[in-house]
Amino acid sequence: MKKILILVLSCLFLNGCEKGTTYTTSPRENFEALWKILDQNYCFFGYKDIDWNDIYYKYSPLIQDTMSRFELFDVLGDMLAELKDGHTNLYSSFDMARYWNWYEDYPPNYYKDIQDLYLGTDYKIAGGLKYKILSDANSERKIGYAYYGSFTNGISESNLDYMFLHFKECDGLIFDVRNNGGGALTYSERIASRFLSEKTLTGYTQYKNGNGHDDFTEPKAQHLSPSDRIRWLRPTVLLTNRHTYSAGNDFVSVMRILDQVTTLGDKTGGGCGLPFSSELPNGWGVRFSACPMYDANKELTEFGIEPDVKVLMDREEILSGKDALIDAAFQLLLKQSDSLNVETKSKISSEMFGY
Amino acid sequence: MKKATCLILLFCCCLMPLRAQSDKKDIPWSTNESTMLGFGGYNIHDSYLSPSANMNYTGWVARVMNERLKMVKLVDYRIARQQIINVEFGSTHNGAETAHEYAGFVDYSLGYLYRFDNVFTEGLRFLTGASARAQAGFIYNTRNSNNPASGKADLDLNISAMAIYGFKIKNYPVTVRYQGEMPFMGVLFSIHRGEPYYFLSQGDSDGIVRFSSFNNKFAVRNYITMDLPLGSFTVRLGYLNSIYRTDVNGIKTHVISNTAMIGLVKEFVSFGGKRLKDTQRYSSAYY
Repeated sequence: MKKILILVLSCLFLNGCEKGTTYTTSPRENFEALWKILDQNYCFFGYKDIDWNDIYYKYSPLIQDTMSRFELFDVLGDMLAELKDGHTNLYSSFDMARYWNWYEDYPPNYYKDIQDLYLGTDYKIAGGLKYKILSDANSERKIGYAYYGSFTNGISESNLDYMFLHFKECDGLIFDVRNNGGGALTYSERIASRFLSEKTLTGYTQYKNGNGHDDFTEPKAQHLSPSDRIRWLRPTVLLTNRHTYSAGNDFVSVMRILDQVTTLGDKTGGGCGLPFSSELPNGWGVRFSACPMYDANKELTEFGIEPDVKVLMDREEILSGKDALIDAAFQLLLKQSDSLNVETKSKISSEMFGY
Repeated sequence: MKKATCLILLFCCCLMPLRAQSDKKDIPWSTNESTMLGFGGYNIHDSYLSPSANMNYTGWVARVMNERLKMVKLVDYRIARQQIINVEFGSTHNGAETAHEYAGFVDYSLGYLYRFDNVFTEGLRFLTGASARAQAGFIYNTRNSNNPASGKADLDLNISAMAIYGFKIKNYPVTVRYQGEMPFMGVLFSIHRGEPYYFLSQGDSDGIVRFSSFNNKFAVRNYITMDLPLGSFTVRLGYLNSIYRTDVNGIKTHVISNTAMIGLVKEFVSFGGKRLKDTQRYSSAYY
């Protein structure tokens, strides 16, 4: 009877003594923990044809009980770099391990100093957007130019309304997402919905539902509906470079579906895995791609999206302060606008602004 | 949603036979109300926030709890109605203190308990019955990217038991109470392992409301109090042990707290409407 009473009381009160992973700086335990977190949760092993067990046997011998935290960090960082994934990082108080070769190995095709020559000092700022009307000195025709440098910078519906109203006399729009390293997908959707004329299949999402490398839910179709506010249906060029990544890459994968949109510049950086976070017993944080996001053709864009028109900056243009991508986009938009007859232009304007 | 409606109906059905037996004169029973403040330790784990890491976060929790207990006319005034509103907030950190998790919960419970007087000895009351509890809350991790928070929502039916013992120490009246409460069935909200909340906003909401019972949820509340009259006040001291543990949709969670409580108790008679007009025993400053 006494034992039963003790058992019942233990169940009721002592259930609070929870066992969990305890804090430890042991290199071996932290290596094992990191390997396991990736093994059970990383989403691109199959797509990238990576044998994670091989990686274990490659790096396990490098783990020594006597190694310093800095040495351990470097080894673990190298192990994660095998995934070739910009969304995969290891965070400590003294460093962040990263794989940034997807843009560091390529020319930037974007220089802020040169962009400033185009923007001048009288450009407008609305939320995360910088925008200005660019004019052709010869024909005085106008093209709108908007730069959105990060999807972490907020952008409201009103910001977009005022920008599009500002561009209402423009023949086309250059929407520049070069060096946009990502952020909130909701902003990507908010902007993209302004370019839609009908509900559109934009991609598929899925997530891991087990520890196995191929344990995924069925891909679920994602649709985007047109905004009921001002929309932009005139010719549009989307500027991209290797540093257009993550939510920036997602934005490009949606925009390139649209008839009036042409992507121009360099291939995007990719990053189509939605990242999750976890942690090691020593308190280091780890981030990794956890949910694959497919484009409308059910293809992964983890390694980037090729532009419709490839334009790169050359040395002479850079030295003379010319942004070859903006210049090419400007000319392309004039051509595209010219190819539309008056009736079509009028119809588009009516759909956009109601006149 | 259908499951939730069924549970509520089931709970109401349990009470209906009792209501039919009531025919006693409407005596103005008083309400025992306490408002308590508590502070104690928190132990949190949520595998959605730390996938494959089994990391516990520990820290402090503060809570405010309001309890009302009143005999109602069911079964000749043998039934006590208990209402508890609890609001808690806690701050925790991992073992290395490199990340923090904040958690907050609000819950309301309504219970009906049959009272047995003078059980075993004079002054010992025993109450047992059932209660329904609705709870909502969150756990937020400051370090995470697309899995920063884990939302919680529960609707439970509980078994509840309480023992109240009043005695005197050298003519000084003391009342002690123990109450245990444990859900045996209910429904709860849980996102799936590895699913970002962003996907929910895109309409991917299959299987996020689950039936819960002992197979996937274990929760218990142990509440011990002692009432001490001090001058014209009654002070209530207490200890609350709360355990909440779920294993649903591939996500393991526990939220455990041990809280020391202190507050004031008041005993009052509630009047309203006709009852206020019918009685001559009390004078209102307002009516």
